[in-house]
Amino acid sequence: MTNKLAKLIFYLGTLISLVLFLALTFDTHRQIQTLTHADQLSEQVVAGKQVWHKYNCNDCHTILGFGSYYGPDMTRVYWRRGSEGIKAVIRSPEKFTTWRKMPRLPVTDEELEELVAFLRWASEIDTHGWPPQDQKLRGETGRAAALGVSPGAVLFQEKGCFACHRVYGTGGQQGPELTHVGSRLSYETIEKVLTDPRSASPRATMPPPVVSHEERDQLAAFLAGLK
Amino acid sequence: MPLAYTSQRVAYPYFVIALLLFALQVIVGIWLALSYAVTIPQGLVDILPFSTTRAIHTNLLVLWLLLGFMGTTYFMIPEETEREIFSALLAYLQLAILAGTGVTAVVGFLFGWTKGKPLLEIPFPLDYLVVVGALIFLFNVGMTILRAQRWTVVQGSLFGGLVFLAVMYLFNLPFYANLSIDWYYWWWVIHLWVEGAWELVAAALTAWILIKITDVPRELVEKWLYVELGLFLFTGIAGTGHHYYWLGAPKYWLWVGGIFSALEPLPILLMVLDAWHYIRNRRDGIKGRLVFTLAVGMSILHFVGAGFWGFLHTLPQINYYTHGSQVTVAHGHIAFFGAYVLLNIMFFYYAMPKLKGLAEFDERRGTLAFWWMSITMMLMTLAFSVAGVLQTYIERVMGLGYMTAQAQMRFWFAILVFLGLSLLGGVILTVLDLLTLRPAPAVAQSGPAVR
Repeated sequence: MTNKLAKLIFYLGTLISLVLFLALTFDTHRQIQTLTHADQLSEQVVAGKQVWHKYNCNDCHTILGFGSYYGPDMTRVYWRRGSEGIKAVIRSPEKFTTWRKMPRLPVTDEELEELVAFLRWASEIDTHGWPPQDQKLRGETGRAAALGVSPGAVLFQEKGCFACHRVYGTGGQQGPELTHVGSRLSYETIEKVLTDPRSASPRATMPPPVVSHEERDQLAAFLAGLK
Repeated sequence: MPLAYTSQRVAYPYFVIALLLFALQVIVGIWLALSYAVTIPQGLVDILPFSTTRAIHTNLLVLWLLLGFMGTTYFMIPEETEREIFSALLAYLQLAILAGTGVTAVVGFLFGWTKGKPLLEIPFPLDYLVVVGALIFLFNVGMTILRAQRWTVVQGSLFGGLVFLAVMYLFNLPFYANLSIDWYYWWWVIHLWVEGAWELVAAALTAWILIKITDVPRELVEKWLYVELGLFLFTGIAGTGHHYYWLGAPKYWLWVGGIFSALEPLPILLMVLDAWHYIRNRRDGIKGRLVFTLAVGMSILHFVGAGFWGFLHTLPQINYYTHGSQVTVAHGHIAFFGAYVLLNIMFFYYAMPKLKGLAEFDERRGTLAFWWMSITMMLMTLAFSVAGVLQTYIERVMGLGYMTAQAQMRFWFAILVFLGLSLLGGVILTVLDLLTLRPAPAVAQSGPAVR
């Protein structure tokens, strides 16, 4: 190899990598606004980030996988524990830890609210599906939230009703469309159909759903509400 | 044997402080391993949390490595430029500022005074004092080079690396409101230091040592230095992308980071082959067997740690599961040790005898300490790796809880406590040996038969 070639490798190698890196950095700045929904960076969220730094949380916990590995990752902690859960742990860590301890920190109530806002914002960053261990939580918390609002809606999904029935454009078409079923049938009628589908029409092919009495009532309440 | 230039003497206090901080760093490290292995009582955790000791452990590392590089630079630059250092006084002032700032910061951590950003915890205004210290250093070295008017590639690489290092630190100073952008630029400091600026410094110092201990022509060393630097920067700059997979950046970083960082072992391999080639093709005997051992050991462990252990988890398909686990810790320990700890120690063993006016010194303790530390560190890396694989599988693949995985890893941290104690033994031996070098025994002999 000649001296000239060696120098060429140095200048060209450095330049190519640098130009590519800076160009992608420029583009990342544009896209990261959407990927992190930067419009949601309220004053409270930013104050929460400062609380995160103030108590040096990051030298025990990772966030986005960066930091120290002494405690669990905080990227999706909001999915795991929700705001009240996070607050409870920080207020009295000794109640939640066993053989590895977390310090009791003098965090004020205001700081706690800010920190939760920050962690809630962080939980929505688009990380291309990282961390793997928290991925399944997305569905579970969605389910839990829906369960609080309408247990019948969750049952409608879980008992496979969507296989034949369509609601707001989702679901199969063998059975009747149910988007406005509440305006056609009363709560009592729906309850009867769920107990014995042929009570509505002798030719009905729908199998009676396998549900308890309580679940049947919840389903009926949900369907009667679809108006 | 007197020093070629009297101002080389400023390197001595840099080395002494660096060595003491090194020993302190390892002591704190043992405490960290213990915190993973056994239960620390709540009352003690409230006063001295893991986060504080972890910050101390990592900051001491950065501080002593940088002081080592700086002392080394002050030792080397007069011989390379054939001029005395521009101002020895400034060199001492700079040491006082940087060591003073570092120690103040570490004591501050104990009282919760922190910026709260991992590895870069030094808070305002101390971080600006670090910049002042760095500027004095660059000014002093730059003026020495400028006045000498003797341009060499080794100098260029060294000075370029030092400027690069200082500039990158500036990205640590602002407050970033967006967490993802914060980490994006955090890596401009951390990654572009260890896989950019520090590699330039390391390559320059290694080249210089090789010129000194073998009789290989400078032109040849400098030609290959160009190629190494080109490859380091080509793979290292865009290779930063391997930290951008999961932080909220666009998906193309999985491609760019994966491809460029997979090539990162190449320049290190070239460095190993290079060193090996020069040493094999020398005409005379090696001047100083221990320095030679350290040069070869350093380049091999540099490759094993930064190259191989880095490559193991750099591809996104694997990194998805290993990211932020003890696998990273395994890589971090062996990479820093192989690339930068041994580099510093090699240079200390090159320069210390000359600073103490010894033509030859008794190398037995130093050689023993090298093997002791290197073997212990290799075992530590394996223990961290086993813990990391357990964590990756139990927590990330099987989806069991974080603490369930940690319970299975506990045993390996107990092992690491003992390995840490062993490492401390090797470190203390190194420090004591370097501080109390003895003349070589009268009988002609070449190194001990530790190999």
